[in-house]
Order: sequence, then structure tokens, then C-alpha cells
Amino acid sequence: MNTAVRDLPAPAMFEFDASNWKLAILAGLAISILAALALPASLSFWVIGAMAAMIAAVFAINAYRRKYYGGLLVAPAIAVLFVMNIFPLLWSLGLSFFAYQSNQQTIRFIGLNNYIKVLTNDIAAPANWDALINTGMFVVSTVAAQMIAGFLLAMLFAKQFPLRKYLLILVLTPMMLSVVASGVFFTYYYDPTFGILSYAIGEVTGEQFILMDNKLGAVTGIVFADAWMWSPFVMLLVLAGLVSVPKYLYEAAAIDRVSKWRQFWTITFPYIRGLLMLALLFRTIEAFKLYDLVYILIRGGQDTKTIAYLIAEIANEQNKTSEGAALSYVILFMVIVLTNLYLYLANRRNQGA
Amino acid sequence: MSSDALRLSGVSKAYGRVRALENMSFNVAEGRFFVLFGPSSVGKTTTLRTIAGLVPPDQGRVEIFGKDWTHEPIKGRGVSMVFQSFALYPHLSVFENFAYPLREEGIVSEEIKRRVMETATMLKLAHKVDRKPGTLSGGEQQRVALGRSLVRRPKILLLDEPLTNLDAKLRHDMRAELKRLHRQFGLTIVYATPDELEALSMGEEIAVMRDGAVVQRGTPDELYENPADTYVAGKIGAPHMNMIAAKVSKDGKSIDTPLGKFSGKQNLKTASGEKALMGIRPSDIELAGNSKSAIKSRVHLLEPLGDVTVVSVESGGETLRLVLPESKAQGLKPGDHTGITFDTNKIHIFRASSGQAIA
Repeated sequence: MNTAVRDLPAPAMFEFDASNWKLAILAGLAISILAALALPASLSFWVIGAMAAMIAAVFAINAYRRKYYGGLLVAPAIAVLFVMNIFPLLWSLGLSFFAYQSNQQTIRFIGLNNYIKVLTNDIAAPANWDALINTGMFVVSTVAAQMIAGFLLAMLFAKQFPLRKYLLILVLTPMMLSVVASGVFFTYYYDPTFGILSYAIGEVTGEQFILMDNKLGAVTGIVFADAWMWSPFVMLLVLAGLVSVPKYLYEAAAIDRVSKWRQFWTITFPYIRGLLMLALLFRTIEAFKLYDLVYILIRGGQDTKTIAYLIAEIANEQNKTSEGAALSYVILFMVIVLTNLYLYLANRRNQGA
Repeated sequence: MSSDALRLSGVSKAYGRVRALENMSFNVAEGRFFVLFGPSSVGKTTTLRTIAGLVPPDQGRVEIFGKDWTHEPIKGRGVSMVFQSFALYPHLSVFENFAYPLREEGIVSEEIKRRVMETATMLKLAHKVDRKPGTLSGGEQQRVALGRSLVRRPKILLLDEPLTNLDAKLRHDMRAELKRLHRQFGLTIVYATPDELEALSMGEEIAVMRDGAVVQRGTPDELYENPADTYVAGKIGAPHMNMIAAKVSKDGKSIDTPLGKFSGKQNLKTASGEKALMGIRPSDIELAGNSKSAIKSRVHLLEPLGDVTVVSVESGGETLRLVLPESKAQGLKPGDHTGITFDTNKIHIFRASSGQAIA
């Protein structure tokens, strides 16, 4: 049916036509290269941008004339994705090979020097490694806390009890709150003078309690706040798995006189294993980016700076744009390796099972 | 009394406001193939679940081999159950599905292996023990479900509509298979089914259920020959019994119907003038050509079913169905006039108000 509609023949290679996308790419590339070589960077940037827009427009006209409506419908989404995500991503990748500071006009190609600096420089690298270790510690502790709390909550909410529906909504609210809002709640809870935590402990011990006055306390405070926000997310996923287990399997197991413990491992767990892996994956990626709570609760004090915190500090506060970009790509690389490892293990288990 | 494998007395169970079982009582002799027969949502499954111990009854007693198990836990009943949905453990292999009930008993693994393979071989599943249930056909899944409940050698086996999810040919094969297993193991089987054919062909004894209680129980022949009421008469036998409105005549010995006056084999247990129903099985009616004693009728519809033909005829404003051998039905056309006749010993008479049999 579609082939009959697309009866308009494709234009010849060098035919000057508004739908000749091959010619558009060729011309766009040629003009871009010429502009990059001949014009100053501040001008060639706009010329290349205009060429990209021209090629996109030709593609759109081609799709419209030849009735590729599917392509036409996703075009706006692709355009937004490109402008907002892919272009900045590639741009920052490019920047990481230059010496560039956003508050200065100069830019100079220095190859891998930024990467070498963030990983090996005597002054910069130790702070980066410390921050990376902090991030690793936060990843392990927050994800573990969320997985355990989320799993237990799911086991609880899989049962029927009075007011379950309302309690479920209540438990889900932290996930829907803005991180900044709940971060501010927790600064109040943890406040040494009027926070409820310090007040309660002070009542018992008779001394002023300051949670954030050492690293352990600060980390505990951050992990607790993070777990409070994101355990419901894990719970939702696990709950979806738990309710999908057919009830008759438990009845069959009861007649087969199988203990609850074995019922859990042989019937329940296979249904939630995949979802647990998914929750683990999502939460690990998120935990790598932990910045907000560290900033709101303690401003990176007590040696709690994470790598994301450090990147924001380097790139935004110290204006070392290209160095921040290089560090970001190191982290991106780590996350990609780690998540692929996850997916590989998850897939292998699924095939084995 | 003590030879009863199973005895339910006055068992009642309600789910909220829905009454599933009402004063349900029956007993099953050891080694018997006992069928609970009735349409869906009549309480068959609840009955089985009560016996298995999955549902505690609100009232009444459940005795298994003379011991009261009403409020005891499931463990130790020696009862196993095959679910309508099969309820196979989807993430365990066929072998592990079989071994599942045995693992809890602390049996050594060689013995488990031996028993599992023995059962699997008997059910022709030996070459499939490493497969997951999801990869098996419906019939194979059915056999796995059966094997899993047989492998622990239960004293009583409960089967909840086990053939409902199978196609027609497999059902036929499995009926024979189940009968064979019953004979081979001497098991006591309680089998719930809404299918009349299954009930009649497999049951040594059938309890016909209605609204959470047993209406009538007996051998297939007893139920066929002497249905206790119009409900049982309508459920057993296909096509269903013809029911003709009638009235008990003045002498109280016979009934007046639009087809004429008939008297049954016994005296009627009723007063004269009362409204009644006369039932006659389609297979008990014969064509009588144009003989004088025959009841006049007109052919209305023919349904050839291969070796037999179901003929609907109209007579005196009533529609009757006959089952005729194919040879006798040949040449009949809708609109033909023909006489019919039946043996008055074969008629069933029911009270119109309650449906109870009165002769």
C-alpha cells in the first residue's frame, strides 16, 4: 500500500531540488569544512549550525513529498533530542580536548592533557580520587539501603491490611517530592539547635547532638535522606513483581507442604529477580550522579564531596569548563562499563534460568 | 463406617455474603472414583479446597480415614490436589516440579530421583524432565500436574476440573489415562467436573451438586434411570430429557398430558389435580409410523450427528426430541407427519412445584 503511494521518483544525485537530501549533505559538508578552515571560530560555528538546519529541512521536505509520515512525526522529537542532548554531549566531548575556561576568551587544543590532568596531576587528581571513592561509598550504601528498605516495604504492601491503599500513597510521596524540598526537610530534622533529631537525642543524653559534625554522621544523614526518597521506587518495582505471582502457586505449594522459606526462593523470587536487577541498575546510575543532597545538607563538608559535586564545583564555580568536561567523561565511561556489566550478568542469569 | 476414606458432614462455607457451601454432606469409600458434578460456581472447587485444608469450613466436619481434620493444618492429611490451572511452578524444571513435594520430607536425593523418574516414565514424561513447564504442550502440562500429585503417593487425590483446559481429543485420552491410574494405584479420587460426559464415563459414584449441596448421589446408572428431581434429570443424559406439562388425573394413578393419558410404573405419591411434569428421555421414544396407538406428531427439525440423528417433533403443542439411529431417521423431512410411541415404564413424573420425582 505504501509503495504505491511513494510513486514520486527520487531526484538524481546533482539535481537541484528541495528534496534532494544527498546533494544537501554533500553541499552542507563542503560549506562546513570550508567555513571551519577559512572563517574565525565564532562565525564558522553559526555557518555549520545553519548547514545542519538546512540538511534537516531537506530531509523533512523529502519525507513530506514522498509521504514518509512516520519519519515526519518523529522528526520534532529527534530535533529536540539533538539540540538539547546530543549536541551538548558532543560539544562537551569536544571541549574536553581543549584548554578552555568559560570566563576567558581563549581556547587552545591540548589533546588528552585534560584527561591526564584529572587522573594524574599532583594537585587535582587526589581530590578527584577522594571524590570518586566517596561516590563509590555512596553508591554502595544508598543503593543497599534503598534495595533492602524497598524490598521489605514491598513484602509488607503485597499483603492486604486495613488502610493499605492510603498508606501506600503516603509511602510513595517522598519519591514525588522535589529533591530540594526533601533536602530542606532533612536540614531541619538534622539541625543541631532546633532539629527534632538533635532534640530527641539531647533529651536522652543531656548533651547537644550534632549529626553532621563528623564524616560518619554526615554520610549517615545523606544516605538516610536518599533512602527515604528512593526506597518507594524500588518498592513499586518489586511490588509489581510480587502481585504478578499467581495465587494458586502458593496454594499448590501449601498442598505440597513446602515451607514458606522455600516457597519464597522457588516461587516468589523468580518473579521479582528481573525487577530487582532493574531497580539496582536504575538506582546505581542515579547514585553515581549524587549531588543535590550533598549540596543541600552539608555543602560538601566533612569530606563528603562526591564526584558529581566536584565536577559542578570545577566547571561552574572555578570556571574550568574543559577540565570538568574531561572528568565528566571519565565518570560517564565508568557508569557505562558498570551498567553494561550489570546487563550482561542479568542477561546471562536469565538465559541460564 | 471406618472404610470411608473421606467424610464430610454438614459443611458450610460462606465468602462474605456469598454462600458457597450449604450443609454439604457426603462420604467416599476407600478406593472409589467419586465425581462431584454440577455447573460452575456450584461449590465443587470450594468442597475440594475444604478437603485439602486450603479453606477452613465455617461449620461441619471433615474426616479423613476416620480422623477429624476440620481445623487441622494441611500437613499430614495425605491429600494432594490437581488444580484446574495446573499450577505448575514455572521456574522449576519438570523434574523439580515432581521433586518439590518430596524435598520437604527429607528423602535422600537418590530416592527422590528414583521416584520422580518412575512417575515420569509412567506418565510418558521421562524424556522431558529437564524442560520448563512453559515449553510443554497442554496435555504434557496436565500430566506434569498429575505426576506431581501422584509422586508423593497420596491416599486421596483431588482433581479440580483437570481436563477443562485441554482440547477435545486430549480430554478423551486423559479420561482413559485417569481411569487406568485409578485402577493401578487403587487411589481414592474425588473429581470435580461440570462435564456430564466426564462424570458419567469416569465416575463410579456421582454426587450431583446444586447451590452448595448434594442433590442426589448414586452410580451413573442410578442417576440416569431414577433422577431424584428435574434438576438431575436435566443434567444427566444428552440430549436432555423431554419435559411435558401434565396434570395428575382424578384417580391419582395417572397423568393427563397434551399427548394423552399415561400411568407410570408405580403409584403416584401425590394428590389428584396437582400440576406435574412428565419426563421422557429422547432415546426412549421411537417412531411408530401410522399405527393407531401411535401419538400423532409432525417433524420439526433434524440434527444429523453421524451415527444418530436428533429429531425434533411437535405434538399437541409440545416439542419433543428423539434420538434415532441414523438408519431409522433416513427419509424424514421437516413437515412430515409421523407417529411416535414410548414405553410408559420409561416415563418419569415430577411434581411441577418442587421438581421432586413422584414416580
